[in-house]
Amino acid sequence: MSAYRERAAREIRAERPAATVTPIMRKLVADAEAMLGRGPEDARARAAAARMYAVDHLEELHEQMEANLERRRVHYHRAADAAEAVAIMRRILAGSKRIAKSKSMVAEEVGLTHALRADGMDVLETDIGEYVVDLEGRGPSHITAPALHLNRARIREIFERTGASFEDDDPVKLSRYVRDVVGSYFRDCDAAITGTNIAIASSGRLGIVENEGNVSLGVSHPRLHVAITGLEKVVADEDAALAILEVLAPSATAQPLTSFTHFLAGPMPGQERHVVFVDNGRSRVVHDERYREVLKCIRCGACMNACPVYRTAGGLSYGSPYMGPIGAVVSPLLWPDGRYADLPMASSLCGRCTEVCPVGIPLHRMLLDLRADGVADGQLGSRTEKLAWLAWAEAFRGATRARALSAFARVGLRNGSRIVRSHGDGDDPRLFPEPSELHDRTLLQAATAERTAAVLIPAADVAPHELPALFAFRARDLGVTVVESIDPRDGDLSLTATAAIANTGSVLLTGEQAARRPILGAKRVVVRVSASTLVRFPHEVAPFLGGDDALLLTGASRTADIEKQIVRGIHGAEEMVVVLGP
Amino acid sequence: MPSVALFDPCYMAALRPADAECARHVLRSLGDDVTLIDGRCCGQPAFNSGYRNEARTAGREVLKAARPFETVVTLSGSCTSMVRHYLPVLWDGDRRDAAQRIAGRFRDFVSYVANHPNVGNLGLKLEGVVAYHDSCHGRRELGITSDALGLLARIQGLEVRRLAYEEECCGFGGSFAVKLPEISVAMMTTKLDDAVLTGAKVLVSGDFSCLAHLEAGARGLGLKLETWTFPELLLRALE
Ligand code: SF4
Repeated sequence: MSAYRERAAREIRAERPAATVTPIMRKLVADAEAMLGRGPEDARARAAAARMYAVDHLEELHEQMEANLERRRVHYHRAADAAEAVAIMRRILAGSKRIAKSKSMVAEEVGLTHALRADGMDVLETDIGEYVVDLEGRGPSHITAPALHLNRARIREIFERTGASFEDDDPVKLSRYVRDVVGSYFRDCDAAITGTNIAIASSGRLGIVENEGNVSLGVSHPRLHVAITGLEKVVADEDAALAILEVLAPSATAQPLTSFTHFLAGPMPGQERHVVFVDNGRSRVVHDERYREVLKCIRCGACMNACPVYRTAGGLSYGSPYMGPIGAVVSPLLWPDGRYADLPMASSLCGRCTEVCPVGIPLHRMLLDLRADGVADGQLGSRTEKLAWLAWAEAFRGATRARALSAFARVGLRNGSRIVRSHGDGDDPRLFPEPSELHDRTLLQAATAERTAAVLIPAADVAPHELPALFAFRARDLGVTVVESIDPRDGDLSLTATAAIANTGSVLLTGEQAARRPILGAKRVVVRVSASTLVRFPHEVAPFLGGDDALLLTGASRTADIEKQIVRGIHGAEEMVVVLGP
Repeated sequence: MPSVALFDPCYMAALRPADAECARHVLRSLGDDVTLIDGRCCGQPAFNSGYRNEARTAGREVLKAARPFETVVTLSGSCTSMVRHYLPVLWDGDRRDAAQRIAGRFRDFVSYVANHPNVGNLGLKLEGVVAYHDSCHGRRELGITSDALGLLARIQGLEVRRLAYEEECCGFGGSFAVKLPEISVAMMTTKLDDAVLTGAKVLVSGDFSCLAHLEAGARGLGLKLETWTFPELLLRALE
């Protein structure tokens, strides 16, 4: 039994992940499709092209990135492998005692948190989902929703083990509890670690997306900020970054954009900023024609959301930081030592992953190639299996022999099905009928009434076409109040947007206006938007981004880390008002 | 009378030997002259397991047998997709081109019949209700969903119901069902739940591989649900 099969069977028996995950994912996938449908028609093609360009010009873009980061007084690092990544991080963080970490897949990949803790540093996972799985101890089960495998009752239990107590397991209360723990930790910590979704070569800015506001805290509070990311995350320019953003949140969480989209420039006065790019096999993969496209991945998680194997066996069964179809492809490529050689088998090859991937990675074809590689280099399949396939091929070399084989199979089928059954743990109910049995035609008339639960098709989009009306419509949908004028209140933070995006209800803040500290500290954020600065789609906002710090706000901060239920108002103002003027 | 070959894939010969006869009958009613190719395998089981040399050995025999024919109608969507999309890639250079030329003549039974110039003259008629199972290969690799539904719509008196989440895999996946039975069975159960909710007692699909798996599951679970192939359904609609 392969290691993957053993883990999957254990998960299915013990946890039945599908019971929780399938209904959540069915809804999410339908919502994501609808959200992508709201955007421009060529969004996926443009995102794919932006990522392909990056993969094709990786080294060139890194040279540019390095120069532009240095110009902004941001330190550029490049780590060849996991060990070097950890060593670099240790050097940068030397002397830091309390470290606030937000979500980063690459940190997970190199085992960063574990290594720093072993050095005696205090590391707090500040993302709600990460906080939960860190306490639970089994690791994340999804790349964007790490605690997906845990329901609210389990999460409450896990929190209560640390001494907290709750009246009930309401996700709002559970989420706000973590917010408070994280908020007070930030009051005195020395350093923050974040990921980076998009490194923009032409300007040296870092594109980071987040919903909770913990990244906003991380990049603006401690004196030291280190971003760690994969080598492939660099892109040419702001147009490329926006093309990716246009599909990232819709595919990942069915949001138009995440609550916060940072375009992070140089450090604040007195602050130090580093970016660590981790290679760990990527520059090898980029030279392999069959797999290089996997580096286009933007880690949206859509492929696992849609994958029936992932839903059934759960993310933990992969035993890798990367799970689902992307995990089954990328794990054996990043760790070629054979430990993940059986993951490419974790697919029925239904092709759904390839269909939903917003950047057009042919995932299921790569899985096929990886299987062939595994067999060729002896990491996959047993000697017995090899011999069986040889005998099989021999039989099909001659049609007579194969016909005899069919007849034999026909006779042995019912017993054969018992052999199949004994493979499992007795739960396999499949029972093959006699092949010659005739079908019962009266069954055609035996149908009963249809009880199919209506497929979750989100309501038709009835958004207005005019930009100001569209903006107001979308923003209100995100819980933002849109008015023509307003009476100021105590604790208001008044800001002026450089531009706004009608179709996503987002406001763009640049330069001083994008300062995170006041935004996070305000009771209410009031943003003035001039209708003349409205654009329809994210990719059209490029000319307004300027050359400095920029921040796109799309609704108030939120989380959906507990059973995918949306809780608004994590870090930062719960209330956002837009004053829409001419 | 156009001469077509009918490729009866190995696993169908074993699991539903009568199907080729049904299909031959339907094709004859369309005015085709049919030659049977059987006793061969497109190589998919070995290919999907990573054994490409073995897949090539088996697949070569299918291409050889198909060489004289302009059109090769295949009884299973997933075999069609294997031959058209993957088999030629197992050779290089000129041989790949040659394989590609033959592979390009393979058509799956459903889309071949749905687009046949004489399909309108068949006078298909059958009272009853069926549910349609959209196979992954048919839907995504071959793009024949609309052909299948169009063909079903031609059958007078037949009500066709759709499964919720029809884009989801039934869990068969060839060697997948053997290598990861726990997952395969759990996926199958989900699919059967959706099938049962349609109320139909007959499930139709262009891919017999899904059907064999689902029917075995329905049997084992004691569900009153049979799976019919297109040739079988069409033959009855011709009677
Ligand atoms: S492979 Fe595609 S769908 Fe999967 S995480 Fe990457 S970008 Fe998203």
